[in-house]
Amino acid sequence: MIAILGLVVGAVVAIVLRPTVPQEMTRYAAMAVVAAIDAGLGGVRSYAEQTFSDRIFVVAFVTNAAAAAGLVWIGDQLSVDLVTAVVVVFGVRIFQNVAAIRRRVFGG
Amino acid sequence: MPARSPLSLVGLAALLGFLLVTTASSAKAHRLAEAPRQAELIELIGDRRSAVADLDEAVAQLRDEVAKGKVAISRSSAADEREAEEQAQLAKLAGTVALTGRGVVVQLSHSDRTPTSSADAGAYRINDADLQLVVNALLAAGADAVAINDSRLVSTTAIRAAGAHIVVNFRPLVPPFRVAAIGADRRAFESSAIAADFKRWSGMFGLGYTVSTSSEVTVPAYAGRVTIANAEPR
Repeated sequence: MIAILGLVVGAVVAIVLRPTVPQEMTRYAAMAVVAAIDAGLGGVRSYAEQTFSDRIFVVAFVTNAAAAAGLVWIGDQLSVDLVTAVVVVFGVRIFQNVAAIRRRVFGG
Repeated sequence: MPARSPLSLVGLAALLGFLLVTTASSAKAHRLAEAPRQAELIELIGDRRSAVADLDEAVAQLRDEVAKGKVAISRSSAADEREAEEQAQLAKLAGTVALTGRGVVVQLSHSDRTPTSSADAGAYRINDADLQLVVNALLAAGADAVAINDSRLVSTTAIRAAGAHIVVNFRPLVPPFRVAAIGADRRAFESSAIAADFKRWSGMFGLGYTVSTSSEVTVPAYAGRVTIANAEPR
């Protein structure tokens, strides 16, 4: 599919350019990635359910990633570990999305 | 449907892939950057430890020389001789000379069994309090001089825990713990409460516990400071 092609292109660009995230930013970047994975899987799910809207997808992708990184940042300011909150919430959602996609693909 | 939004989908998928690889590779780079620092610190600790051991040895040697010098001087007059004798007696009591004699050796070691729960993990290890009780029992059994793993116990010695380690004379001990006590009576020690406890615990938890008598137990000299800095006799 065309999305997988995009994923591969992005990965190749990153491998070629080798950008590095500053150490103090890696926590935020990692949480943003977790949120983005959830948004990506949500997009695939809605596509499979024929309810895909590119506008919602783009907005969900960006806001999820920003909210996750922002939440972790706020948690750091308050010295509360909100990484766990982000990981749990988006982890559960990732599994739900995967399960929904699986049901679509294999039925049942 | 796919025709409606291929561009945004591809773009975001590319962004996702880019972010994934970037964060993964930088996290790995940071982990790699930490590794040599840890090795450096370990090496530094090893260096300092061997430097301290060298200094300890030098102190023992110099004290020996001083004692010999005093003996040499004391031959000149009867008063000096008395003083030298008194000092030699004091050094014995203070623990700054190595002693050898008949005594008891108690060897303790951590259990090699795995604890059933993290709550009673402490029961499978030798703790600082265990060593304190053993030393106290040995002193009560008449010990004149005691050393743990060749670290001499003097009146100012503390046996305490620092994290998972037991520290004696500010030096961490490496298990097994060998408590050598010159002049202790084996029967008196074995009738103490802690000896009975250890006999029970070695069966229950697998703690290493052996008591032996030797006609030649050697206890090294204390290498630390024995000078009293602030207190004065009244």
